[in-house]
Amino acid sequence: MNCFKALLLLLLCTSLPAVEPVKLTDDGRMKFTPVFVDGDTRLTFVDFENPKVFRLKSMDWKTREVKVVHEAAPAPEFDPAYSIDGNYFSFLRTTGGLQVSLVIRNRKSNEEVVIAPEPGFSGYRTPAIAPDSSQMLFSFANNFGQDIFRIDMKGEGRTALTGTKGINIWPSYSPDGKKIVFTSTRDGNYELYEMKPDGSEIKRLTDSPYQDIRGQYSPDGKQIAFVSHRDGNAEIYLCNADGTSVRRVTNHEERDDYPTWHPDGNHLVYVAERDGSHDLYLLPLKD
Amino acid sequence: MLNIGSFKTKTCSGIGRRSFLQMSGAIPFGLGMSGLGMVTADEVDHVVAKAKSIVFVFLWGAPSHLDTCDPKPNSNSDYRGPFGVIPTRTPGVHFTELLPKLAQRSDKYTLIRSHIQSAPGHPDGGTVALSGFEENPKPVKPNFGSIIARHRGFRGKLPPFFSIANGVVMDGGRRIEAYGGGEMGAVYDPFMVGASETGKVNIPALALMDDVNPLRITDRRQLLQQLDSVPRTLEKSKFRDWNRTYQQAYGLITDPTARQAFDLTQESVKTRQRYGQSVFGQSALLARRLVEAEVPYIQLNYSRHVEAITPGYEFGWDTHLYNFSLLQDQHCPIFDRAFSAFLDDIYARGLIDDTLIVCMGEFGRTPKINVRAARDHWPQCYFSMWAGAGLQTGRVIGESDKNGEHPITRPITPLMVGTTIAELAGVDSQARAEMRVLDGGRVINELL
Repeated sequence: MNCFKALLLLLLCTSLPAVEPVKLTDDGRMKFTPVFVDGDTRLTFVDFENPKVFRLKSMDWKTREVKVVHEAAPAPEFDPAYSIDGNYFSFLRTTGGLQVSLVIRNRKSNEEVVIAPEPGFSGYRTPAIAPDSSQMLFSFANNFGQDIFRIDMKGEGRTALTGTKGINIWPSYSPDGKKIVFTSTRDGNYELYEMKPDGSEIKRLTDSPYQDIRGQYSPDGKQIAFVSHRDGNAEIYLCNADGTSVRRVTNHEERDDYPTWHPDGNHLVYVAERDGSHDLYLLPLKD
Repeated sequence: MLNIGSFKTKTCSGIGRRSFLQMSGAIPFGLGMSGLGMVTADEVDHVVAKAKSIVFVFLWGAPSHLDTCDPKPNSNSDYRGPFGVIPTRTPGVHFTELLPKLAQRSDKYTLIRSHIQSAPGHPDGGTVALSGFEENPKPVKPNFGSIIARHRGFRGKLPPFFSIANGVVMDGGRRIEAYGGGEMGAVYDPFMVGASETGKVNIPALALMDDVNPLRITDRRQLLQQLDSVPRTLEKSKFRDWNRTYQQAYGLITDPTARQAFDLTQESVKTRQRYGQSVFGQSALLARRLVEAEVPYIQLNYSRHVEAITPGYEFGWDTHLYNFSLLQDQHCPIFDRAFSAFLDDIYARGLIDDTLIVCMGEFGRTPKINVRAARDHWPQCYFSMWAGAGLQTGRVIGESDKNGEHPITRPITPLMVGTTIAELAGVDSQARAEMRVLDGGRVINELL
């Protein structure tokens, strides 16, 4: 009976998908942070095109054809984020020696707001746009910590949300805009936390001696996909929105990282290292 | 430019010289040697030279010791960083979770955690790391590889000193002065080769020879005619260096067996995959092939152009900004995979007894997290890994204090690193004296 219980528990804990992931790219170069655009029309991601440059690239979801987002980009661009309504596009752009600006583009008017970093080595990370396109978040390091800030879509009204305690990064809005999941070291190592959009009611969601990072709400807001090293290397996990019921959805001796939800809520796209090469994969979560 | 092969898969602040010297002399031998795997210093009477080849893996830019091989999980949040720690194969020794493959192979190398050096910036720190001496007063002392090259001479089909990188390693346009022969002369500079992430090998010395395709040349006279057409307008001293480079390049392109060392397509797809589709991974594979070709000294550079936040800068591991995300996203996965594959291959092919492997940066990074939630330069404490040439492995030499700020055991300096490399390569104290190199250097007794 005890053996049966242990076996049952093991099956429940691992909960691996029954369907194999589908490989979406085939060049093997390092890639980062895929995000869907305009529903599932396109998938934008960062391509380590050569050892000198990151480029934003965009895949037509139906044809799998990949195009460079900004052909004339003079410098590396990375960390793409889109609003759900498709009106805004935000990303990071290198503007000097370890100087990284935050760009907010209105996709209808093509007007850009560029928020420059501070003097010296300085830069933004991981923008996220609210579902109603009224505001956005980013991570920025100063004063011996890395805080999550909120601004409006004109780049104004900068407000610190996380109190510059430790490293706070990878914010992501829930679909209804009422919660933000983010990663923080405030209690030691990287763990997932949630907070309200005004920075109040910060609550810890995960607890592992290894890093739990890059949380992303599912389209229905009921689950969070994230990356954890808790089983020995980078794998993708799901948990309920309150942090309960953690289950692993990838299992490979090489790295599985950067999950993003397909808008249908039944698939994840992620970057997998296989045989030393990195490509995008589509993972069905249901049979 | 000679391109060979392709990937088969479808695919700043610091420490002054005075305080450095004071610190070096102030710390007694063996202090704080606690824990399993630790060894203490004993005097070594005689060093048996076993290293036919030396591979110096230069982690240019300087990796954080706290976030890699010397984590401090019990330090407070101002120091420890966000990563968990994992056990290694060496009892009682932990790495961060970013280096799982190397943690599993800690029985294949010895770790030193008590390095210090005197120069706080990259080009000057690089010179100390590669030569054992500061860049001033001039003339600049030679790279360790140049010393080995001079001792061994130009005997084989291949040059005796290779530097694997896509160009001379630089920082903001300024090169490391001790990249080559220094006061011994440019004749002992390294022969430069580079590899792309797909395994194409570049030999810049051949770039001047327009229209020369070494894979098509079968007629020596035809080649000589082409070489004769190279402009002879260079000034005398530069022509001498140029001529030496050409002689080496000529040897490479006219000797099929020498050329094979650069052809990564001769490796199985599986082998190339184990090193990873990265510049450093394929460069490490090239280094292994040069070891098999019995090249005496190979400097395998992590940079240049390994990360693209700022193109044109040779930051490498120089993570003043985004330290933690760059380590987990790029540097550590690339390094962990490639260096592990390299160690595995050197062991599996029976090369380890004749090969000395040394892996280190020019210094460490600030244990205390900086204002940008990253880490700056820290020459006061850093790490290295040593394997091969008969060295015992699976050990830890030296220990840093509770926050990783200073060694609490005898500090190991770059001059000691160079002297130990020279001894293990057969450049004994008499030979060093005759060459007037590594003056005052002592071997790292604890290693031997």
